[in-house]
Amino acid sequence: MSQLAPMLPMHRVNVLTGTRTARMVEDPAELAKQILKAQRPLLVLGPRLMKINLGGRLLLEYALEIAKARNIPTCATATVKSKMIELGATPDSVYDIVEIIHALKDPEWKGVRKEGNHDLVLFFGFRTDLGNQGLSVLKHFAPHLKTMTLCKYYYPHADFSLPNIRKDEQWKAFLEGLIENLKKE
Amino acid sequence: MAELKEINKKLEEIYHKIKAEIQWEPVGHTPMPEIADLRNWDMKLLQTYKPWYAPFCDLCCFCTYGKCDLTEDRRGACGIDIATQQARFVLLACLMGCSAHASHAGHILEVLIEKHGPDKKINLGTSIELEAPNIRTVLGLKPETLGDLKIAIEYVYKEIAHLLDSTAMGQEGSPLDYESKSLHAGMLDHVGMEVADIAQIVGFNYPTSVADTPLVDLGWNSVDKTKPIICFIGHNPATSTVVVDYLQENNLYDKVELCGICCTALETTRYSARAKVIGPFSRQLFYIRSGIADVIMTDEQCIRTDMPQEATKAGSALIAALDKAMYGLEDASDMPTDEIVKKMVEEKKHFAILDPRKAAEVAVKVAMAIAPQRRKQWLTEQEAQELAKKCSLCGMCETACPNLFDIGKGVSEVAKGNYEVIQELFNYCVGCGKCEEECPRHIPILKIMQVGASKETYKVRAGRGPIMDTEIRTVGAPITLGTIPGVVALVGCSNFPDIRDLAEIVDEFARRKYIVVVSGCTSMAVGMWKDADGKTIYEKYPPAFDAGGVVNVGSCVANSHISGAAIKIANIFAALPLRANYEVMADYVLNRVGAVGIAWGAYSQKAASIATGFNRLGVPVILGPHSSKYRRLYLSRKEEAEWKVMDARKREIVETGEPSPEHLAYVCETKEKAMVMIPKLCIRKNDTPQGRAIKLNHYISLYKKYMGGGLPEDLHLYVRRDADIPLVYKKEVKAYLTQIGWKPKEPVGLPTLIGTYPTKVPVDSVIH
Repeated sequence: MSQLAPMLPMHRVNVLTGTRTARMVEDPAELAKQILKAQRPLLVLGPRLMKINLGGRLLLEYALEIAKARNIPTCATATVKSKMIELGATPDSVYDIVEIIHALKDPEWKGVRKEGNHDLVLFFGFRTDLGNQGLSVLKHFAPHLKTMTLCKYYYPHADFSLPNIRKDEQWKAFLEGLIENLKKE
Repeated sequence: MAELKEINKKLEEIYHKIKAEIQWEPVGHTPMPEIADLRNWDMKLLQTYKPWYAPFCDLCCFCTYGKCDLTEDRRGACGIDIATQQARFVLLACLMGCSAHASHAGHILEVLIEKHGPDKKINLGTSIELEAPNIRTVLGLKPETLGDLKIAIEYVYKEIAHLLDSTAMGQEGSPLDYESKSLHAGMLDHVGMEVADIAQIVGFNYPTSVADTPLVDLGWNSVDKTKPIICFIGHNPATSTVVVDYLQENNLYDKVELCGICCTALETTRYSARAKVIGPFSRQLFYIRSGIADVIMTDEQCIRTDMPQEATKAGSALIAALDKAMYGLEDASDMPTDEIVKKMVEEKKHFAILDPRKAAEVAVKVAMAIAPQRRKQWLTEQEAQELAKKCSLCGMCETACPNLFDIGKGVSEVAKGNYEVIQELFNYCVGCGKCEEECPRHIPILKIMQVGASKETYKVRAGRGPIMDTEIRTVGAPITLGTIPGVVALVGCSNFPDIRDLAEIVDEFARRKYIVVVSGCTSMAVGMWKDADGKTIYEKYPPAFDAGGVVNVGSCVANSHISGAAIKIANIFAALPLRANYEVMADYVLNRVGAVGIAWGAYSQKAASIATGFNRLGVPVILGPHSSKYRRLYLSRKEEAEWKVMDARKREIVETGEPSPEHLAYVCETKEKAMVMIPKLCIRKNDTPQGRAIKLNHYISLYKKYMGGGLPEDLHLYVRRDADIPLVYKKEVKAYLTQIGWKPKEPVGLPTLIGTYPTKVPVDSVIH
């Protein structure tokens, strides 16, 4: 049953215009719960993590803290690897976003730690156009995994997405809440 | 038996059309190929470079059975699935692009045949004997006259109709077959483009067989605003060339300023030394709203669909000169000239005028009549500041911006008298105007941007058309051996994430002695940057098709000269027959010509089609980040894919394990990543050890520069033997290879895909 089912009008064949859209998560504890449920999550890091500063810290630092909290393997895209190394972290893999998505489509892929394909993929720090198109690939062609985004925009093609957050302080609080919840479980 | 007869009859007809009796080369296996003729080649490519589909939405809404939800393995009422639906969309996009160029070609050919007659000889100058590499390769026809080009374009039309037919509801059911059809459309596009540009060169006497074409003034400031100004927008020079003729015939040539936006601008500068280029497509709305044009003349492709409304707002007069975009305007083609002029000047009416002579006369007369009354000055800072004060920082503009820019910040800073942010935004802006559409306070944001726009005059080199045979003879060996590390072709439109990226890419690779080729709006964008000495890319680097050269081939249709150059290498340098021999040419290019296309600002269906045509010919293409919206890429998975080729010398199929080229259609999110991908995608299996070492030297050094040090993760896949390792990194690379347990492997003597898939082409065909 589609997640939109309760909102779908009758005779949707004639009037449906939307997509199967992401579940909007506003509570960091709920998002943490979804991450903890996953057996083999993967955090895919985009180049915008190196451009955005949140409360005096680079967004990439929040991402690395999330990864560290639950030993989540990372995939560095674009030129993120260099900044990660500068911050004392080593990515588990280096692919560009379209490449990692291409691999994730294959249920037989062994994943970045060769332990099997991932069952939850978190995307963080991408342009919204490329991010949403990439999520669409996985929505349609990777039914074996779920997707989640951590950016301050709503991503319809993800399974779990944050809402659009206007104020950076709210986003910062959300990410800190997420880290806290991941650490305490 | 009857079937065989039919086939023979068909072949006979084809042989008649391509004048097979003229034995300039033996006719190959695929003269005038139809949809299925190159399908096996396509399937071979698609086996390695699998389509990557990114659906825009979950539905199909093409027919009255729908809308059909295609999520979770559902099929539509016709049976289509989501992958096939994406592939169908891509084919439609390629067909739109291919049709645009083919139609342009057909129209210009008609105009020029009327002017010169069908027997007008094709003569591209003393340095070009191989005048039409795409037409010769695809059709098997050696066009000698304008009339011969008609045979080529009629073939393209026919194939377009077949391909379009396949997109109708309830037909093709395989995404791979749709991809094969898209590749077919892309190939046809290069034929259509070649017809267009050869016809233009011959019919308009454009420069040819010369590298050092004039440097043309570029930018707002290059235009003399004290004169009446006619601005051409679009692609087809059938209009602008007639205006130039009219001005010359009436001694008005120095009285009226001619300029243009998008490819028509480039075309006009090939015809008239006085014409200026204002800028690329992305600046169209900005420049129209600036009111610079007294008269706007549109032709076709890449013109805004709201041109009458925008022209009215700016106080410009508009003439729609071609039937492809008539905007609902009254067709004044049969109206007396003076009456049209009167109505345009006094009643401010716009018209469609499909008679080019009349359109030219009207344009000149109207421009001269209305220019004295019009203001062509930019907004002052004070005026901009007043307009910007209405901004409430609601953020609606940011949500509408395709490049995610915080436009509100720029506008609100202007309100405070700070113009720096808006200057920065102007450099990034792709000019779609969506921010203004969304602004609840109707702030004229694009107008405000006038205070941020550059006041510089830049330079663009006039398009030179085909690469010369003499140049190919010089660079053929170093390109195929790898000692010229690659040909980097920056092509297409101007939906850039940052307009400055392009010039930086050109600068980086020209400095490294790659051959850099540019075309279309990209050729303008790369000119809109100056180095510390005040030089543009065109002034900094020589215009030769040689190591370290920067070549502007011309407008969009001149992209066929880039694919043509790749074919010329196979034919002129390697002496492989090209006549109706597409697979052999494409196989040669894929395995031996280190060329890569960069469509960094691709926005149109034409860009999709051009890129797909390059892909079929074996040229990989890197696209800008927004291009995932094209819905399809061609990606390999380097660790899992087979990288088998036939070693034609040994007649053995060899697993090389070498992903070269790694992808065929690839999206990069950042310029920095593109800088690293470009040298990698220039690696070919045919590289000599010396050539490979040069290519790896650039790959490693650019990786270190942009990825923050270390060695590329996949470097070991490209090192065959010690001799491939660049000297400067020898110690570091050897230590890495030892650490990961790398084993040397024999380079392939003569790599080819021929012989690895079902084809009529014998392996002998690739040996020269």
